[in-house]
Amino acid sequence: MAYVVTEACIDVQDRACMEECPVDCIYPGDRMMYIHPDECVDCGKCMPACPNDAIFWEYKTPPEQAPFIEANALFVRSHGLGGGGEDADPIDEDHPLVAQRRPR
Amino acid sequence: MTATIGETALEQTGTKVVRAACPQDCPDTCAMLVTVDGEGKATDVAGDPDHPYTNGGLCVKVNNYLDRVYDQTRVLFPMRRTGPKGSGRFERITWEDAVSEIAAKFKAIAAEHGPEAIMPVSYLGTQGILNGLNVGDPFFAKLGATVAERTYCDSGSCTAYAMTIGDTAGVDPESLVHSKFILVWACNIMSTNLHLWPYIAKARRNGAKVVVVDPIRSRTAAAADQHIALRPGTDGALALAMAHVIIAEGLTDQDYIDNYTVGFPEFAERVEQYTPEWAETETGVPAETIRTLAREYATAQPSVIRIGVAVERHAGGGQTVRALSCLPGLVGAWRKPGGGILQLPLWAFPVNWGAFMHPEMLTPGTRVVNQYLLGAALAGDLPEGPPLKALMVYNSNPVVTTPDQARLIEGLQREDLFTVVSEQFMTDTAEYADIVLPATTQLEQDDIMFSWGHLYVTYNHRSIDPIGEAVPNTELFRRLAAAMGWDDPVFQRSDAEMIAEAFDWSHPNMAGITVESLQEKGWQRLNVPAPDAYAPHAEGNFPTPSGKAEFVSAAAAGGNFVVPLFRQGSNDHQPGQPVDPLPHYIPPRESAAANPELAARYPLNLLTPKSHAFLNSSFGSHEFHRRVADEHSLIVHPDDAAARGIAQGDPVRVFNDRGEFTVVANLQDTVPVGVVVSPMGGWRKNSKAGATLAAVNPTVFGDLGNAPTFSDTLVEVEIA
Repeated sequence: MAYVVTEACIDVQDRACMEECPVDCIYPGDRMMYIHPDECVDCGKCMPACPNDAIFWEYKTPPEQAPFIEANALFVRSHGLGGGGEDADPIDEDHPLVAQRRPR
Repeated sequence: MTATIGETALEQTGTKVVRAACPQDCPDTCAMLVTVDGEGKATDVAGDPDHPYTNGGLCVKVNNYLDRVYDQTRVLFPMRRTGPKGSGRFERITWEDAVSEIAAKFKAIAAEHGPEAIMPVSYLGTQGILNGLNVGDPFFAKLGATVAERTYCDSGSCTAYAMTIGDTAGVDPESLVHSKFILVWACNIMSTNLHLWPYIAKARRNGAKVVVVDPIRSRTAAAADQHIALRPGTDGALALAMAHVIIAEGLTDQDYIDNYTVGFPEFAERVEQYTPEWAETETGVPAETIRTLAREYATAQPSVIRIGVAVERHAGGGQTVRALSCLPGLVGAWRKPGGGILQLPLWAFPVNWGAFMHPEMLTPGTRVVNQYLLGAALAGDLPEGPPLKALMVYNSNPVVTTPDQARLIEGLQREDLFTVVSEQFMTDTAEYADIVLPATTQLEQDDIMFSWGHLYVTYNHRSIDPIGEAVPNTELFRRLAAAMGWDDPVFQRSDAEMIAEAFDWSHPNMAGITVESLQEKGWQRLNVPAPDAYAPHAEGNFPTPSGKAEFVSAAAAGGNFVVPLFRQGSNDHQPGQPVDPLPHYIPPRESAAANPELAARYPLNLLTPKSHAFLNSSFGSHEFHRRVADEHSLIVHPDDAAARGIAQGDPVRVFNDRGEFTVVANLQDTVPVGVVVSPMGGWRKNSKAGATLAAVNPTVFGDLGNAPTFSDTLVEVEIA
């Protein structure tokens, strides 16, 4: 259960969401931000903060963006992320769903 | 283009943004902005980004509030039962027919059995000053109905806290950024007090240590620097052992103690027995961990304790809060902003309770019945007086929130009981009503809000017209009073007149705050010092008889009591049993130590905390909330599951001598061996076997304030 960063964040990474998140559960990848589903408290504060409308609630994610639900979760878990995005070490990788996109 | 405005602009055309306030029973009372389109339909509900405390955020419960407002299953018209009680079969009737039928019934029952045969059942389904806690009190006082005692939330804690440091607001939550040591006790902030967390996170960045005391690894415990997992119901032992260490190791602030507290020598003598080694045997927390906790708490000043409602929910919950309320005085934590204890800042608000409760309208000596005992009361187990013949339920869903569920339902099915339920949704309780009345949501009503989690008054403008024939609770009771033929001025007041009476506007805390300024701005901070200067007890000034923090409580001499606010203002028939004026340890009732025979049959402690996505039982009918809430589940440690042959996802029966319910097993090591957790709030009609956790929870009270003892519950679990 969580909010989810989707396609519109790729190569933008505005990071306004990170500043809004009360529990610091948003982590930067190389080209996109990722929300940790185990740390997210579903408060939704990140969603209106995003200038690119890239963030959705898991249950209200448009179908074409649905693969990003798993991408967010897999990315943070596979990199062992946790304990706060602000101080997290930079990661120069992305989930394949993101990495495979052509740069904007 | 949109503009943020108040209710008058509703009459203009075009999109508007209206200032509102979250109505849910939560400490955060978020400032909301409701966007309304030119057709008068709300299109967005969001947090107000300008509000310093709630800061533009809402939460998982209220983000999708429009799904609630416009839900197709809303109760929109008065209805009369047409099938057997509980069948859910109703027919639409007019408001006029509904209120005249209710008035006729109430009059007939009062004439035949006496008015105490009628009882209101309500709490904080909405917590605005107008439509919340006290909205029906004058009506039922005039009627002479049984007084409803509503000890759902912090009643035992309030009695204990008041006995020790008086009705003080305590620490300003915004001051927590200055705290150097933050002790979160029995409070899952991430799920129940979310907007406090950024202040804690900021303090942490400034070097504060955050420690969470909780039997389970909650979301909050997982995010803390340290999690101290103690056995359920043994919090008092840990708190008293902390006092023991602080005194034994000379970590006290002697100057603060000498000048601003009373009873230190007696308290020091009392806690001599509560050694860390003794506490280890009670709590399961290693003695050395307790010593370190006490030392860090005492020496990292200012230190603060944030207590949650759950801390009262066992046999000794009251004395636990007494002990915790003593700790800041012991170490002089009150000296600086961000030091002390944070319980209910509600007491900073000069709410004009009397104008809403009207306790002077009560008939002296009127019977008082605690709503937690409703099942027993309907079965005839009552203090002297007539049997209950009518209930009026509003702001409440007792089938889910009240223990003794099976007996309560049996009572609600009585053919000789007349039940009225005012609701937004067809709840488990509404299904047993004879008459159902449609209630508005917060968007459809005006209100003005206190907070029990921050220091801002918030105004709620009605942003849309009522849907269907729904009415605010204020209008409900105006209509009922008129149908009774009562013309007292109290029943004639408009909502605007009530708002004008909501506060003692002449109180210093309200300086600069008026109805008009609130209507324009939406919210205003009480006129108290800024968070970086707010240290109300730096030099004592406690609202106690002595003006000091009372280790030996003078108020204890009057015996146990429930704060009258939780019982329609009545001070009659208080529990009254003697109270030891010094904090002491009362072990849980349902434990291997206290009751080995019971523990042999029911070896697991059941905890039923607030769920992440429900607010008590509110939102229990919404699909997404139900998924997030993980409703009707039981978190079981894998070892306990293995011992019972339970696998992930198995349906399991949870039972004790009081009853049983069936849920789905969720194997997690966030709970210790011996403890199982089922989040509360899921509706009975969505349950697996027609019962929820209210079927096994106890009806006995804790030591103070008639608090429930839901965390003092033993059960066994088996595959269903």
